[in-house]
Amino acid sequence: MASVSAAPSPAPPTKDESAPVLATEVSPADLLYDKCAESPQGTVFFQRELSNMQVANSMAELTRLLQDLCDRHLMKLMTFDNEPCWKLRSKTEAEKMRRLTPDERLLYHHIDQVQSEGIWSKALRARTNVTQQVLTKCLKSLESKDLVKSVMSVKFPNRKMYLLKHLRPSEDIAGGPWQSEGDFDNALISIVSTAVSQHVEQETCIRVPGDWNSYTPVDRTAAIAHKKAQVQSVQDIEDTPTTKSFRPPVDPSASRLVHRNNPKYPTAASISAWLMSKQILRDKEVREDDMEQLLEMMVLDGRLEKISGTNYRTAMTASDVQVFNGFVDAPCGNCPVFDLCSDEGEICARTCVYFGEWLSTESEE
Amino acid sequence: MSYLQRETPILAELCTFLVEDQYGELAARVFSVLARHGRQTLAALVRASYLNGRQIKHGLVVLIQQHLLFHSVTESDVNYYEIDWQQSYCLVRYGKVLKLVEDRYGKKATNVISNLLTLGHTRIVDLKEAYFPAPEVAESRGGETNGTSLGKRNANGERVNGTAIKTNGITNGVASKQDNLTNGDGGHANGVKISGTTNGDGAEEDAQEENTIQSVDELYAIIYHLMQQGWIMKVEDSQFLSPGDMHDQARAAAVDENYGGNNPTGNKDKEVLAADILQRKRRIRDDWLTVPKFPTRKRQNAEPDYGMSNKRAKISHGNDWTSHGDTVLLDAGYTTSQATSADLIIRVNPEKVTVGMRTEQLALLVETRLGYTTSQIYRVMLRLLETNLARCYEEWPDRIKDDPDAPIDSRHLVTARDVAKNIDRSIDLFESLDPHAIVQITRKGHVDKHHRLSNPIDPDSLTLDDKTKIIDKHIQLLSDDPFHFVTWHSRAGYSQWHVEFEEIAKSVIQQEVENTVAARKGALGVKLIRALRKKGKLDERQTCNAMMMSAQDLRGVVNDMTVQGLIQTQEVPRVERREAKHSIHLIWYDRQRAREKLLHDTYKGMVRIMQRISYERGKVKQLLIKAERSDVVGNEEKWLNRGELDALKKWKEVQEKLLLQLFREDDLVATLRDFIGPLISV
Ligand code: SF4
Repeated sequence: MASVSAAPSPAPPTKDESAPVLATEVSPADLLYDKCAESPQGTVFFQRELSNMQVANSMAELTRLLQDLCDRHLMKLMTFDNEPCWKLRSKTEAEKMRRLTPDERLLYHHIDQVQSEGIWSKALRARTNVTQQVLTKCLKSLESKDLVKSVMSVKFPNRKMYLLKHLRPSEDIAGGPWQSEGDFDNALISIVSTAVSQHVEQETCIRVPGDWNSYTPVDRTAAIAHKKAQVQSVQDIEDTPTTKSFRPPVDPSASRLVHRNNPKYPTAASISAWLMSKQILRDKEVREDDMEQLLEMMVLDGRLEKISGTNYRTAMTASDVQVFNGFVDAPCGNCPVFDLCSDEGEICARTCVYFGEWLSTESEE
Repeated sequence: MSYLQRETPILAELCTFLVEDQYGELAARVFSVLARHGRQTLAALVRASYLNGRQIKHGLVVLIQQHLLFHSVTESDVNYYEIDWQQSYCLVRYGKVLKLVEDRYGKKATNVISNLLTLGHTRIVDLKEAYFPAPEVAESRGGETNGTSLGKRNANGERVNGTAIKTNGITNGVASKQDNLTNGDGGHANGVKISGTTNGDGAEEDAQEENTIQSVDELYAIIYHLMQQGWIMKVEDSQFLSPGDMHDQARAAAVDENYGGNNPTGNKDKEVLAADILQRKRRIRDDWLTVPKFPTRKRQNAEPDYGMSNKRAKISHGNDWTSHGDTVLLDAGYTTSQATSADLIIRVNPEKVTVGMRTEQLALLVETRLGYTTSQIYRVMLRLLETNLARCYEEWPDRIKDDPDAPIDSRHLVTARDVAKNIDRSIDLFESLDPHAIVQITRKGHVDKHHRLSNPIDPDSLTLDDKTKIIDKHIQLLSDDPFHFVTWHSRAGYSQWHVEFEEIAKSVIQQEVENTVAARKGALGVKLIRALRKKGKLDERQTCNAMMMSAQDLRGVVNDMTVQGLIQTQEVPRVERREAKHSIHLIWYDRQRAREKLLHDTYKGMVRIMQRISYERGKVKQLLIKAERSDVVGNEEKWLNRGELDALKKWKEVQEKLLLQLFREDDLVATLRDFIGPLISV
């Protein structure tokens, strides 16, 4: 997922700052920093590569330079396969780091270590052994300095997880593509579900214009009966022409949606593949089970219908008028005082204002 | 009937209102005593009320005539009375019954059913008397009918069994409720007004004539047909047994026969006994529906058009029945038949009514989901199946589930071909189909890029084969729908379909719960219910995940719906000290509970409507008395002033609106209560 990281890139270390006019004043440490900054952001440097840059003259000097940079928070020491390695920090970031109190720095360090997994505040306290007050204070200050952020874990909804500001929380704590910051991303869900429901409608329904079958009705039965009557010159009572129903003039622009004949009902897999191919979501991946979650939700919403174990189609209603049922369409079905209403007394059918309104009649005072 | 027989105070109140509305205050008072005190003897009834024995007996007679009571004689020969709640509730449906019958079998059949409803159970011969009275009665009546051209057969206010009969039953629900006035005392005939609103002017009189039953033969044919279709059934003593008594009797009989009168002890034996009791009860009940042999030797005819069938029958029998006098024919009929049918007592079968209601409701549901044409096709399918469906669900099923692979009775299958033969020709079968499907079948032209047919086709010009194929497309839609309105069964020339009513009934209940929630809490509430229904018990986080929403957005609606009793909550402690903070809070949705809650609330809503009707009526009481005076009826313009006319009009509107709503609530009751037994949920 790192490849699609949405993190705002830290301000790139600019050369203007570090390459002042007086080149002689550039310390070797800064030189090393500048050389490293030429590589793509986020690159990890091992000792071999650093010494290849030929800034330091000896191993000892390189170590000292690195130490210097680390102290100034311009570099971060990490390990990879038990081998030490370093990574650059932006200058602004380093600046912020420099202003941290030791406690804050300690916490920052631990938060930094867990990366996108995030760390629960309680776990943080256990690792750092600071008091609760210090913890709260420091975390607040770190957050206000835009160095770390907190998200609610989806797995444990009452856990606040901390991670570095520019990192995207892992799916474990942030949930699938539908969630952000521990909450469902309503805007995203609504955009995607609208797109999906249009797609499903395309696949499973067909919009038929009002004049799709513009035949001229021939009254065949009447014609036959007429012919017969002419021949026999008397009409058989058994052959009375059937009454044809009145066919209302059709409005060609009025269309109606009908279920497709032999449709290929889409599945979660086909829809998620379609969605990814459409590239509606730039930096998120919607897997099959993410899609299934969304589709199931849309079934609950009444926008889709599940046809069999895995297939979906558009839920249609043939009529637009919403009728509920005999009970709730009457005043009592929706009455706020239904439970208080009795046969006699202050609230009853005789005094009922809702009935009065509904029937436009007077009720008893 | 056990499930339906479980009464609640609110149902008792509702039924009391209904009884009062239909049969007057005396009957209602007796009814309400029984409702409050439950199963009672006559003596206890007298003690429990302020009425005297004579009054109570009058009340009981009316109630029993209408099957609103069970009465069982126990060993001590004391009669116990107990309310039949299902039948009592059914009073609200009388208007609907007529509509259902009219749609299926036409006006004449409706007329017969209407009379049966007014009379309660009745002997066939008495019904005949009502239509075709002996001459002297007709004469004495002649003066009473003022100026109607309905002829002697439209016996208005005829005296039968001490209750008034109204033969002119072509009414809608509203009017029938007004018209079904029977004298509660049962003493003498009570002339029934024909509501001016239903039958308009002279133009209708011709139609009236056409819809009048012309001969005894025809009457019998109608009754016979309705019995075969299951809308009318025999009355037998066992119908007056309360569910408890019926169970006891069946049990006693089973114990006597199989165990020599000693109660079995072993678990195995008890199970066998239980199954045997159920079987006995089913047998007793199913026996009510057997159609006895009739004096008329009419062909079994499925056509609802009696005029036509009469004509054909005449021709095919080569025997002109009408040349005999009616009485002669009857006597001949009796002597040659088993002599049982004339004295046969018949009534309307309430269980069939719910089957009919189910058909209509499902068809309406399909209309909202898939459109008019598909719904019409579904309606035809369901009506074809109706003949062989005695009831919506088996109330006494065997504990051991039927073999699921057991072949389905072919009478419960229907094909597109059947529909094609029976569907109304004026329906545009192409509606709501994909044009591609049509081209595929008709093989004419193609569909252009705007989805238009290059060769338009008149749906009326289809051959039966193509029609069948088109209908099959609609049926496919029915089957694909998440409600699974039909299920494919097998191919026997054409695809045979059956309807899984039980599963559909469950979905429809769910649908109504969702409708209720939608009206109250909008889409969010519905989503919550659906999520819980699908996933079972959820804690907050799981709920959020399923609905893809944040907890804050949800809490409000969860609370509201808990208060309304539609969802349940549960707290599971996680630590030993039970602390709310450390507990898991679960919410869940129980369909059966929501169903019962909604049913209960609906009863209450119906009671409120009845109360409002009576309040509104009270407001115009004086006016109504005036308007009903015989000199005013028909001359309203002359005797009432503008204000009074307006008030009258307003009252009619108000009443209509309220009644309409009442009937719609009854539809909801049917869905919630009558289509399937209790659900075991979660
Ligand atoms: S009668 Fe009026 S106050 Fe009573 S429940 Fe109905 S709407 Fe509410």
